[in-house]
Amino acid sequence: MKSVTRKRIGKTVLMIFVIIASLVCIFPIYEMISTSLKYDVDAFSLPPKWIFTPTFDNYTSIFVSSNFGRYFINSVIVALSATFFSVFLGALAGYSIARFRYKGKKLIVILTLLMRMIPPVILVVPVFILWTKMGISDTRFGLVIVYVALNLPFNIWVLKTFIADIPYSLDESAIIDGCSDWTVFRKIILPLIAPGIAVASIFTFRISWNEYILSLVLTNRFTRTLPVAVSLYLTDAGTEWGKITAIATIIAIPAFIFTFTAAKQLITGMTAGAVKG
Amino acid sequence: MSSAKGLATRKSPYLFILPAFAILVGVLVLPVFSGIRLGFFEWALRDIGKDPEFVGLRNFMDIFRSENFHTSIRVTLIFTFSVVVLELFIGTVLALLLEKGVPGLRFFRTIFILPVMIAPVVVGVVWKFMYNPSYGKINYFLQVLGIEPVGWLSDPQMALISIIITDVWQWTPFVFLLILAGLQGVPQELNDASKVDGANYLQTLVHIKLPCLSNVIAVTAVLRLIDAFRGLVVMLIMTNGGPGVSTEILSLHLYKTAFTDQRLGKASAIAVVLLMIITLLSIFFITRSMKDEEL
Amino acid sequence: MMKKILMILMVLLAVCAVTFAQGQKAEAEVKESVEGFDWRQFEGETIVTCFPNHVTYNALMPLIPEFEAKTGIKVEVDLLQYLKMHDKQVLEMSKPSGDYDLISMVVMWKTEYATAGMLRPLEPYFENPNLAYPDYDFDDLVPAYVENTGYVGGDKIYLGGEGATLYGVPFGAETSIMIYRQDIFDEYNIKVPDTYDELMAAAKFITEEVPGVYGFTSRGASGHQAMAGYLLHASPFGASVFDENWEPAFNSPKAIAALEWMKEMFKYGPPGMTSFGQDGQFQAFLQGDAAIYLDASVFAGKARDPQQSTVYDKLGYAMHPLKESRLSESGGFGLGIPANASNPEAAFLFMQWMTSKEVERKVIENGGAPFRMSSVSDPALQAKYPDFAVLAKQLPHVNPDWRPLIPEWGEINNMLGIAVNQVLTGEKQPQQAMDEMVAPVREIMVRAGYIK
Repeated sequence: MKSVTRKRIGKTVLMIFVIIASLVCIFPIYEMISTSLKYDVDAFSLPPKWIFTPTFDNYTSIFVSSNFGRYFINSVIVALSATFFSVFLGALAGYSIARFRYKGKKLIVILTLLMRMIPPVILVVPVFILWTKMGISDTRFGLVIVYVALNLPFNIWVLKTFIADIPYSLDESAIIDGCSDWTVFRKIILPLIAPGIAVASIFTFRISWNEYILSLVLTNRFTRTLPVAVSLYLTDAGTEWGKITAIATIIAIPAFIFTFTAAKQLITGMTAGAVKG
Repeated sequence: MSSAKGLATRKSPYLFILPAFAILVGVLVLPVFSGIRLGFFEWALRDIGKDPEFVGLRNFMDIFRSENFHTSIRVTLIFTFSVVVLELFIGTVLALLLEKGVPGLRFFRTIFILPVMIAPVVVGVVWKFMYNPSYGKINYFLQVLGIEPVGWLSDPQMALISIIITDVWQWTPFVFLLILAGLQGVPQELNDASKVDGANYLQTLVHIKLPCLSNVIAVTAVLRLIDAFRGLVVMLIMTNGGPGVSTEILSLHLYKTAFTDQRLGKASAIAVVLLMIITLLSIFFITRSMKDEEL
Repeated sequence: MMKKILMILMVLLAVCAVTFAQGQKAEAEVKESVEGFDWRQFEGETIVTCFPNHVTYNALMPLIPEFEAKTGIKVEVDLLQYLKMHDKQVLEMSKPSGDYDLISMVVMWKTEYATAGMLRPLEPYFENPNLAYPDYDFDDLVPAYVENTGYVGGDKIYLGGEGATLYGVPFGAETSIMIYRQDIFDEYNIKVPDTYDELMAAAKFITEEVPGVYGFTSRGASGHQAMAGYLLHASPFGASVFDENWEPAFNSPKAIAALEWMKEMFKYGPPGMTSFGQDGQFQAFLQGDAAIYLDASVFAGKARDPQQSTVYDKLGYAMHPLKESRLSESGGFGLGIPANASNPEAAFLFMQWMTSKEVERKVIENGGAPFRMSSVSDPALQAKYPDFAVLAKQLPHVNPDWRPLIPEWGEINNMLGIAVNQVLTGEKQPQQAMDEMVAPVREIMVRAGYIK
């Protein structure tokens, strides 16, 4: 009896503790969304107005003003195409690494692992100069190709793990039936690694959608993406918090969607490489 | 596409890896080397059409003599060390507490993913707003609790701590999820066996769980370590490295040297140093990853 | 004797008559040529401008359709945060053919741009009768602003004078004035500060005696912001960054005195001032947390806007206080035409239109800052905007040489700004912090060939 009460108290304390931890996790996000729905007067008022009449003024004004629509479309195009190519090429390379023995493979594996560590900021200056000389800076292509490359090591790694888990007998029977490696990859491997593709896609999309520094340097008014648009409102002559938090909320929407629909894949992705299995 | 069959083929594995390899080399390896080379030249953005001037080791001498570079290294080390230790500690404690499961664990786990998913730009903006001395909520809460307002981003002693708090907010959940996954990988028989032996919780923790976790903890630490060296956007938005250079971590120092000071060569010299540190850190990660591979 | 007087009278009369006639004639001519001026000569062209997200430019935005209707020229605006504009502009202007036809540049960048050959000299355009709008009245532009935003290659490389070339015209240019809370000054019977000592005393008094209000608001964030806040005081203290021979002078006794003053003043500002950019500085005043503002004059437009300001009806204005002088800053933005612009003539029309007398008045109406003598000294406008009267008195004291706008200034500005911020946060002592900067700054100057 005594131990049951103790257990119950322990559980309650634990529960309170977890709730507090989640509140801490969520408060900044709540703050962002609520500020985006407030007039500046309410946003600045202290004590905070917990109950207020929401306004979509900030959203309408960013959609109407400037080139927000353009930036939004750029973000979508850039993130989607970077995701597609990076995951596809990652699957091809993962297949090659998981299923074949050949000369130079070790070198390639080391290379991908090393590349995974490169801080993107190191690339900013040289890529900026090289792209300008080649005439692909300020293009979506120039930005996409960098995102493809930055995400490739992770995608190769994750997809290689998924491919390695597929029994080799499946490949073998197809090969006996006379399928080429390409057909094996397309008909057998790709469908079976669908969960892995989902993990890789979400992570690549997240990074390409959120990336700031390279986009800031490698785009112009036609190709600029949303995270850079945020910084345009951080002016020194008056930070427009309502509008900034509105854009920030829009940027965070895919994050919300992924979090609430694909939590399992996210955890797989995060743990890939760190926790075996 | 190759029509050759099976493991014996020589061409098709190369064909499969070629596009990825080409992109990695073209977009990452070549620029990194071109960046290293740039470290030996003097260049500004405005000279982009001209030939850069070769200056030998001058950029490297410059950074090693520069007080701001030394501060930046120190800031980077303090920042990295603090966030890794704090996040690992809090994340592990949380994971151990929640391992047995509380009602709604799945829901809470989903909530914990959110901060990790948020764009660094957004994190910087939102926390800058919350830290604001005149209308930020954090000082307001402190005031409600009767605590003096804190100059979160304006006091050189506090600014780095504020940045660390933000990083801990964003990344502890990530560490927690990894450790939790690791804990679930601890074979139940081991736990049971130690219970049968009459070991108390602490003994089980120290003798069974932590050793099983050590690998996960080590890899998580390295991942966070490398990320801590990579990130700069949160600082760029929140403090731009200030006050003084008290929050100017190495990657931000590099960025500002390139784009505020217009010293592309000097920035590349900083990049070389950063690259060397990262490579050293990576060696651990790579040797471990390679160990798991049957190549 | 009579003859002489008669003669003088006659001469006077003649002069009057001639002047009058000329006036009439000039007016007629102007009318004619204004009608004759072909605004639609570049109909159908598109120009791309790079503008900052800044009060005066925001005031212009709603007016642009008027220009498009008048000229048939389409205007695309690339709106950027002002410190971000530099890299984009440099990059665009280094290409064989750039994206921008008209750029707004912070005055700090004009020398860098002009000496790199990235900008077009504007004299040929103003001399071209087909392009120059006859009613433009160039001389009416505030001369100090023109010198500061437009001229390169004069007495010093970044100043006007002998041999200087015009590369820009002011738009969003500014000097410094003081804005204070009239209600607080009245209630506590505080004298409006006219000197730096009085300013310190007033700030101290307000911080100590007025509940919930601090005396002063300033920018102080590490780098450019702290440096701008500091140089604002250095100029009236008689200090400068370099001496006549380009040797560092920022550790001279006068420079240190200005820094000491600023450090002392930071005691009487709201918490967090060492992280304030202009935004923080403005908000502290607009929210009523600080009672005295001394910095860029453009802020007046925000301060008196009821939508942005909680203190819009409680404002007083005064000149930059006196130390050795009242020499105030001259900063802000100017307009330039890139050398690689695709439609420079159409851009020139737009540049003239947006800085013309008529449009300037509308910009002021929308909250922008004035840049023409005719509006600053217009009694009707002065009655409506009391800051104009103060501005008119301040303009003769503008110091175009308050900071050295050499191409290397970006780097030096950042280095010194970090040091100033370290002084403000108490990390370093003024003399020590500035002495430490001498060697690295000298090295930059030696490399750039200013000194040996």
